[in-house]
Amino acid sequence: MTDHTVKAFTEELDALTHEVARMGGLAETAVTESIQAISRRDTTLAQSVIERDAKIDAAQHDVEKRAIRLFALRQPFASDLRVVLTGWRIASELERVGDLAKNIAKRALILNQSEPIQLTKSVERMGRIAATQLKQVLDAYSNRDVRAAVGVWFHDEDVDAHYNSLFRELLTYMMEDPRTIGACAHLLFVAKNIERIGDHSTNIAEYIHYLVTGEEIATERPRADAETTDT
Amino acid sequence: MNEFAGAGADRGPQDASVVVPIVKASAGSLTDAQTKVMARDVNVHYGEKQALFNVSIDIPDRAVTAFIGPSGCGKTTFLRCINRMNDTIDNCRVQGTLEVEGKNIYASDVDPVVVRMRVGMVFQKPNPFPKSIYENVAYGPRIHGLVKAKGELDEIVEKSLRRAALWDEVKDRLHAPGTGLSGGQQQRLVIARTVAVSPHVILMDEPCSALDPIATAKVEELIDELRENFCIIIVTHSMAQAARVSQKTAFFHLGTLVETGPTEEIFTKPRDSRTQDYITGRFG
Repeated sequence: MTDHTVKAFTEELDALTHEVARMGGLAETAVTESIQAISRRDTTLAQSVIERDAKIDAAQHDVEKRAIRLFALRQPFASDLRVVLTGWRIASELERVGDLAKNIAKRALILNQSEPIQLTKSVERMGRIAATQLKQVLDAYSNRDVRAAVGVWFHDEDVDAHYNSLFRELLTYMMEDPRTIGACAHLLFVAKNIERIGDHSTNIAEYIHYLVTGEEIATERPRADAETTDT
Repeated sequence: MNEFAGAGADRGPQDASVVVPIVKASAGSLTDAQTKVMARDVNVHYGEKQALFNVSIDIPDRAVTAFIGPSGCGKTTFLRCINRMNDTIDNCRVQGTLEVEGKNIYASDVDPVVVRMRVGMVFQKPNPFPKSIYENVAYGPRIHGLVKAKGELDEIVEKSLRRAALWDEVKDRLHAPGTGLSGGQQQRLVIARTVAVSPHVILMDEPCSALDPIATAKVEELIDELRENFCIIIVTHSMAQAARVSQKTAFFHLGTLVETGPTEEIFTKPRDSRTQDYITGRFG
């Protein structure tokens, strides 16, 4: 697409999308490392993830300020309007992803104080799928690739399916050995957080679709998580 | 009865109280709106040079339609076809079909003067007559024979000035000269003058370009009120104004009508890349 006649407008839009992409990178790293902190029982890594969440929050505030400025001073229309609007919304999703990663890291600190459990392997697998999805959707955003985004949108069921089976495994584990109830409960929360990260990736995919086409994704998002209560 | 017919047709003095009634109805959706102005394959030439190419559009009643596009795109030329102002230009040739309320305004038995009463026009620079405020508004109804008695004329003048949101500001000085008003007031006086003859359609060619932001806001509010009863077409260079005041937007470029649609769609997801480039400021 050609530049705006007033170049500063293009520069400001680019700065906004770059900041969202940078934030995406921070969120991706946080998710990957929080899962690693669980699987490797790495307390130092967990603490690092917790501290770095402040950077993700700061980036979200920056995107918000840029968006408000663009709306007020440039009155963007059409594609520009969608760039600013989706940039703002995606930044909000990424801020939540950062919080979820921070919470996973906090649980890692607690889990590391008790005996290791076998089921962390399953959680790790689920975490890697969610991290991959997040990476794919952020790549789709950088490339304005609707097909890739819709691909992520359809495969949210994978993370949900993992969550369901993990839930059942953990229940079985707890019933077999009540001494593991504490650790398993924390793992349940971790699994729920990972499932939520998957949901945010799906939301980002929807915004990418709107960004590129100007239309909302028409059908209902596929839902496979049987346990949908908030925890 | 062909109300656009010339002096020869049966056209007795009409009841002055038959002004378009102020019905506080909602504007309704565009899809069930009646078409007030219909154009099919309108081509316009200035001598050898073609200015408009096959323009076809339906313009809804009780709504504001905005014509946007870069300078020289033909939007003002097209606007001027709707009230036959292009007749006043010697080498201008208009071809195609143009109907207002289902009647062909270029038919041979149509009097262009009557067309210009029924299709009023407001220009960029306010142009009140060098007469009193009262006379500015009364002139049209009087010469078109719309009233019988002075009492009726007083009524039309007051109604029109109220409709133009100007009555309260001028009611105590109706005999002061119209040219003594501020720019924004003059434009509203011109609008009052236009509505005084019960037009079907009001054309506006950049009505706010010469006005300050406050006067502009007042005229835009007035347009919002008027659209409940009139078909309004506005040519504007301001994208933001088109977005604010109109329900339907038509984008012209190099003499062709590139895209029309509900204003909300044109400004959030236009279909044509030329429309997108123009409204986002990527032209040139």
